[in-house]
Amino acid sequence: MNYDALVIGSGIGGMESALKLGDMGYRVLVVEKEASVGGKMILLSKVFPTLDCASCISTPKMAATIHHPNVTVLTYAGVDRIRRDADGRFHVTVRRKPRFVDEAACTGCQQCELACTVAVPDQFNADLVGRRAAYIPFPQAVPKKAVIERAGTSPCTYTCPAGIKAHGYVSLVRGGQYEKAFQLILEATPLVGSLGRACYAPCESECTRGGLEGPVPIRRIKRFVADTHYAGGVDGTQRPATNGIRVAVVGSGPAGLTAAWQLARRGYQVTVFEAAPRPGGMLRLGIPAYRLPNEVVDADIANLTALGVRIEAGKRVDDLEALRDQGFAAILLATGTHAAIRLRVPGEDLPGVHSALNFLRAVKLGEPTEVRGRSVIVVGGGNVAIDTARSALRLGAADVHLVSLESRARMPAYSWEVDEALAEGVVPHDSWGVRAIDGGQSGVEGVTLRRCTSVVDADGRFSPQYDESIVDNLACDTVIVAAGMAADTAAFADLVPVNRNRTIQADPGTLQTAVPHIFAAGDTVTGPSMITTAVGQGRRAAFMMDRFLRGEPLDVAEFEARLPEVDKASVLARQRGYDTRQPIAVPIPDRAASAGFAELEPPMTEEQARYSAARCLDCGVCAECHECVNTCPADAINLDMREQTIETEVGAVVVATGFTLFPADLKPQYGYGRYPNVITGMQMDRLLAPTRPYHTVLRPGDGKVPERIGYIMCTGSRDKTVGNPLCSKVCCMYSIKQNQLIMGALPLADVTVHYIDIRAVGKGYDEFYEQARAMGANYIKGRVARIDEKDNGDLIVYYEDVESGRLASAEYDLVVLAVGIQPNREAAGLFDAGELALDDYFYVAETSAALNPAATNIPGVFVAGAASGPKDIPESILHAGAAVAQVAAHLEGTAVPV
Amino acid sequence: MIENADQAPEPESMPERRIGVYVCHCGGNISDYVDVSRVIDGIRDEPGVVVARRAMFTCSDATQQEIERDIRDQHLDGLVVASCSPKLHTATFREVARRAGLNPYQYTQVNIREQCSWAHTDDHEGATDKAIRLVRAGIGRTSRTEPLEPLVVQTTPKVLIVGGGITGLRAALGLARIGLAVFLVERQTRLGGWVAGFGAMYPEQDRGRDLIDRLVVQIGEHDNITVFTGAELVEKTGSFGNYRATVRIGGRTGETIQLDVGSIIVATGFDSYQPARGEYGFGLPGVLTLPDFTELVDGATGPLTYQGRPVRAIAYIYCVGSRQPADVPGGNEYCSRFCCTAAVHTSLKTRGLGGKIHQYHLYRDMRTYGKNELLYSQSRAAGDHYLRFTQDTPPTVDYDAATERLRVTVRDQLAGPAEIELPVDLVVLVTGMVPRANEDLVKALKLPVGRDGFLNEIHPKLRPVETVVDGVLIAGACQGPKTAVESVASGLAAVTQAAAVLKRGDTALDPLVATVDTDICRWCGACQDTCPYGAISQITRDGREVAAIDEASCKGCGGCVPLCPDQAIDLRGYSNAQVTSMIDGLLEAMA
Repeated sequence: MNYDALVIGSGIGGMESALKLGDMGYRVLVVEKEASVGGKMILLSKVFPTLDCASCISTPKMAATIHHPNVTVLTYAGVDRIRRDADGRFHVTVRRKPRFVDEAACTGCQQCELACTVAVPDQFNADLVGRRAAYIPFPQAVPKKAVIERAGTSPCTYTCPAGIKAHGYVSLVRGGQYEKAFQLILEATPLVGSLGRACYAPCESECTRGGLEGPVPIRRIKRFVADTHYAGGVDGTQRPATNGIRVAVVGSGPAGLTAAWQLARRGYQVTVFEAAPRPGGMLRLGIPAYRLPNEVVDADIANLTALGVRIEAGKRVDDLEALRDQGFAAILLATGTHAAIRLRVPGEDLPGVHSALNFLRAVKLGEPTEVRGRSVIVVGGGNVAIDTARSALRLGAADVHLVSLESRARMPAYSWEVDEALAEGVVPHDSWGVRAIDGGQSGVEGVTLRRCTSVVDADGRFSPQYDESIVDNLACDTVIVAAGMAADTAAFADLVPVNRNRTIQADPGTLQTAVPHIFAAGDTVTGPSMITTAVGQGRRAAFMMDRFLRGEPLDVAEFEARLPEVDKASVLARQRGYDTRQPIAVPIPDRAASAGFAELEPPMTEEQARYSAARCLDCGVCAECHECVNTCPADAINLDMREQTIETEVGAVVVATGFTLFPADLKPQYGYGRYPNVITGMQMDRLLAPTRPYHTVLRPGDGKVPERIGYIMCTGSRDKTVGNPLCSKVCCMYSIKQNQLIMGALPLADVTVHYIDIRAVGKGYDEFYEQARAMGANYIKGRVARIDEKDNGDLIVYYEDVESGRLASAEYDLVVLAVGIQPNREAAGLFDAGELALDDYFYVAETSAALNPAATNIPGVFVAGAASGPKDIPESILHAGAAVAQVAAHLEGTAVPV
Repeated sequence: MIENADQAPEPESMPERRIGVYVCHCGGNISDYVDVSRVIDGIRDEPGVVVARRAMFTCSDATQQEIERDIRDQHLDGLVVASCSPKLHTATFREVARRAGLNPYQYTQVNIREQCSWAHTDDHEGATDKAIRLVRAGIGRTSRTEPLEPLVVQTTPKVLIVGGGITGLRAALGLARIGLAVFLVERQTRLGGWVAGFGAMYPEQDRGRDLIDRLVVQIGEHDNITVFTGAELVEKTGSFGNYRATVRIGGRTGETIQLDVGSIIVATGFDSYQPARGEYGFGLPGVLTLPDFTELVDGATGPLTYQGRPVRAIAYIYCVGSRQPADVPGGNEYCSRFCCTAAVHTSLKTRGLGGKIHQYHLYRDMRTYGKNELLYSQSRAAGDHYLRFTQDTPPTVDYDAATERLRVTVRDQLAGPAEIELPVDLVVLVTGMVPRANEDLVKALKLPVGRDGFLNEIHPKLRPVETVVDGVLIAGACQGPKTAVESVASGLAAVTQAAAVLKRGDTALDPLVATVDTDICRWCGACQDTCPYGAISQITRDGREVAAIDEASCKGCGGCVPLCPDQAIDLRGYSNAQVTSMIDGLLEAMA
């Protein structure tokens, strides 16, 4: 749809322009960047010199604008570009930011706001207080519709291969909502307790707080969530209605269990087949109990069985055709990597040489091992090797040696695990390769080592090089080889193509194999990886199998469409005022614990968990905790919304982009941002507004009601040192207004204003100034040099008093900086660079102001209000009226330059 | 409303009404002093009330939509909002009613902010009681409302502009360009007003004369602009959308013509303050007002001379005739806004003439607001001296016969306590604007005049160019001191306001007007005598002389109603029955 006129900005100038053009019968499109119309005026307390309530004057205009039959308003939108064609028509591209809320459905009930777990500074209260990430801008917002603020996906969530909303559950824990946190993790996987212990937590490596004092301990928070849930014995499981379709999952590791969980939640009847006697895959068979106790795996698996998933353990599947014949409509292969890789050295088959996988499996299943009192050499430098070595110690080995090709620093095992192993007594032999395992029929007697000079080739491929001249012998009676793992897929190879490394060939996006109803996921596709990666594969497989079974196309893009990762630098810039919050100490493993298989890592206390969660910087703003989604009675929230681009054509343009406020921290001598009791004029207006954040005037530092209030005029105006020699025009008057309101609100307060010239120019303005003087406000001519803060938060202002000709100082409880206004630089970006003329100070230039105020250099483009220079409200309204008269003339096609 | 004739007309006999009542907190403007919950409790059980709610901001869009829902879902046939002044929000809530399908005239606004919370900040209890009574009265009125339809009148797509200065000229062009016909009436014999006499003006250095010439040429090219010079508006009859203006051309004895217009824009400008003899030495040779000095400068072609003598030093004394204390007889309390910048600009032009010159600016507050600050910076950089005095210690001017120069004595705050004597050749009194002496026009148009003597808008923010006389707009310096650019902007804003109504071709007027029961009326003329709007005339009907009221002219003031000896006049929307019901509501005992 095309319009007669485009109005950019819906402050008082924009609204006035749109309403008057609409009244004249023109069709108007208003584009507003915030989620509500109203601009800055609606945020003010009262307005000079009539002391009308700003809300009372703004709200009817706001309502009229959005209800006007000729006016269409797009809020939360920006004009990307305007192109003027040869006929003088304007082609406009508007970007509508996603609100993540269906405007038509939202009733403005604010339930989402109450449920939201993220607080950010409230820009509509001049950052004096916080608001939620799900918010309605202010009580009088028009339209009164919620917005979910999303800066992007938080790095922790973005990086999680499992697709768990890490930021979300951290945010829920911060608010004490542990069960909801548990349920949020369940949306991805049932393996909450296992991941809370055994996950290597890539989220923590990405945590923005990690660049400050140290990352949020996200994994341990998850463990806290799981422990709390399982200890509480809550079973809130609701079985979804079954759809009667049977699906088979082969393998009960993280991939298989997660896929089974996801499918069962979608109503499928899932049977999981597991070759081992007990389900859990590597969780059960590979990870030692001191890291992941069996009961935790059991509890996680109980989540599945509670949903009705059947698990048939001890049942190896060799015949996939047979499964099909049994009525399984789709099959997922998730059999992991349970075949050990051999060293290929002499002596590897001697008695006393074991594979690490078999060893760990035996330990976990309680089967006998033969290491008590033995001297054990573990070969390998990965996490399995470390697990093996530490398990051997716990089983009473006399001594345990770790032989690795890599140097200490390059060992693939996580360094903290290596450290713990060494602390427990494992003896490292790094940069050594095994040339041979020595011994005879009676058993192993030792190993012959050779110096390893490099492990990988220039391309990063495994290709160890040795210096055969450097050898060593190490005596032992047991060797456990942890040289790697491979998929064991021989049984399926005749039906499903496999790769040379024996992994199954599956499309990496859809995880479908060459056989349409057979999918594959986890390590059996990727080769050995991490638990979280396998979980993510399981989720993906379930999503795709569901689509396959419903006859829908397997659209890769639909799975987990995430917003781009938020930029950490922008997070840190945004969180200028973050507190320093040290991480809780990393727990030191209990030495005595190495004697047994009791869990090493102590749990977090509730206090530690909440403190740690509160260290989160809310990088993406919205945490994706889904509380709003779950709460919204209108089902209006849709986190999958994305930006929309709208193209339209208009005959004229009104630029009403208004102004920005001078950032007061650019005058460091006044201490704004460092001294909590130095505030800006806008902040004072908020303190005085009917919707004021504290319900009274108090100073932010300590909540004290101020008795001595000082004003510093011309902050950022008439000041070449900050690049603005212009007078901002409104600051004198808004300060005088505030002076009067303060004297009304706090009758005992003394108000002192340090000024250069009082510029009360306008109808009734000087009278208003005299009235403030008569009420008792004190006006001192002279500039302020600097402000110091006392220990109690009071402020010492050093100033000159021109009338008495002396330098003096005064103490105030609260200092208000009468910040000036600056051009909104967005106006320049509406057109191609340089197309719209600006004045020397970057305001939109009125190129023939004497007779055509509001006209710009581009025919058909007009400027209304403070976008063209400092203006107060009445001037902005008149200026908008002037713009409209010329827009109408332009549209009538009779415009001739005067 | 249908009365059952068989029953005595007691209040209880009213047909069942379904009224919604909304009480506003106005943020804290009301609820800080009025106990809104108690107000709700106090009116919840009034007859006919089916919805009673409160709201943080009733005027907010969310609450408006809530009211709309209630009107539809609860089938309301009456609406009461207790909030602020009806001036502010009557139109807002009538519109809410209309959108929801309720007749807008079944809405009553009760003002519990100006009349309760703001008036009785020291008595919360009393303010709350009063609010309850006022809301009851509003419910009483609403319970006897009937659906009314607005009076739609066709409008004349022509505008009369009074004043041919830069504001009026630019407004005339603005109107013509959007298709409205214009009559422009100028009292002087030539167009252009003050600006026609100006040389280079800030901010763009255009010459005033050139600007006017450009406008006049353009106007001449427009067929639908008719200019009358040497002409005055002497009378206005009719009503909004259809005024008939009587214009006299050629002075007191000249001919008069009548023009039918939909709207009138008053752009009569200002007069310059004329100092009293002796005021800062006014009357001494070389003591000039700013306009006279500006004329001198604009006429100069080389270094400035005055009466044949070179001017080497000038003192500018600011705020002459402005910012005077209230106790100065006839003094002007207001700031004239333009004069600081105008004086600084003129001093820069003076310096630009060449020659070595000292300029001293004696000011109180330098009010070069906004971008005008650049001129002030430029002036100081050029070497002008700025000295600050206070109202308590004004400078004095006398003539030093020995040097044949003027002597200005001032106590400069910026330099210290000692008095400074400045020998100068000229003293420029930076005089402000004063309202034009325009009593006849003010009377003819019934224009509202503010305390400062300038014409008054309805509301500086909501309706800045409108007056209380519908369709009569004000623009330029007649409303208050303005620069030329600002005057032009307000003139164009008036164009917009006029066009917003006249482009549509018709306008809706409130039907809240007086009506005559001609069966009862026996024509005595009392009503006609009292009507300030000339809306009542005598007609013959069925052989009887009776009063007739022109609905478009009647403003619904109700002045005629109590004067009628036969009670033949009633006022729609405030009928006798409604007012009685309101009084009952006010007097009803508190629970």
